[in-house]
Amino acid sequence: MFERFTKDARAVVHAAVSDAKATGQSTVEAEHLLLALAASPELRSLGLDREQLADALIEEERRSLSVVGLSAENYQQRKPASSAHEPRFGASAKLALQRGVKLAQLRGGRRFRAQDLLAGVLAAEHGRVPRALNLVGIDVDELRGRI
Amino acid sequence: MVVQSTEVPEDPVDALAAVGAMRRLADRVEAAAVSQAISDGWTWAQIAEALGVTRQAVHKKHARRVESARD
Repeated sequence: MFERFTKDARAVVHAAVSDAKATGQSTVEAEHLLLALAASPELRSLGLDREQLADALIEEERRSLSVVGLSAENYQQRKPASSAHEPRFGASAKLALQRGVKLAQLRGGRRFRAQDLLAGVLAAEHGRVPRALNLVGIDVDELRGRI
Repeated sequence: MVVQSTEVPEDPVDALAAVGAMRRLADRVEAAAVSQAISDGWTWAQIAEALGVTRQAVHKKHARRVESARD
């Protein structure tokens, strides 16, 4: 699957896997891809850096837990807790990759670029990525249109 | 006895997001508690019993992580 990926797109996938592993998570999810894409021109043009995106994801989880009356203050989300297992691709990351590949095909592109991966990540209607982006005031529809 | 029903919000979107967040939180709490128990000298069988899972399941899920953290 990865043979058509450009060097940049591969680097994003590797960074997402490393991030999931470094924070002790058993799966790589769409939010790891989003963080790995923080340096992309499209996200940088929004004036958001990686730290702000990471904070938005933490806030997203805090709010989600508060719906059921939970607080996770003692169990920080991004505390380094290296996992010994190689993380698998979780459902949201798989969907992002599939959607990105499909969008790249529609575009008629022969290569799969980091930009296609971003389009795949942003195609999600639900989940942590659109929720976190909404929290920092990003209009995801508008952003999709720009890619 | 009156059993209070859990109030489920009308729009499922927040409740569904909460489920995902709880699963991730449960994983973090479990990982931290298992590490603590092992360093306190608990056996895998004791941890498994406390978690309500089999010894094989808890060992498979945590042994490599806990052992690599001790090195």
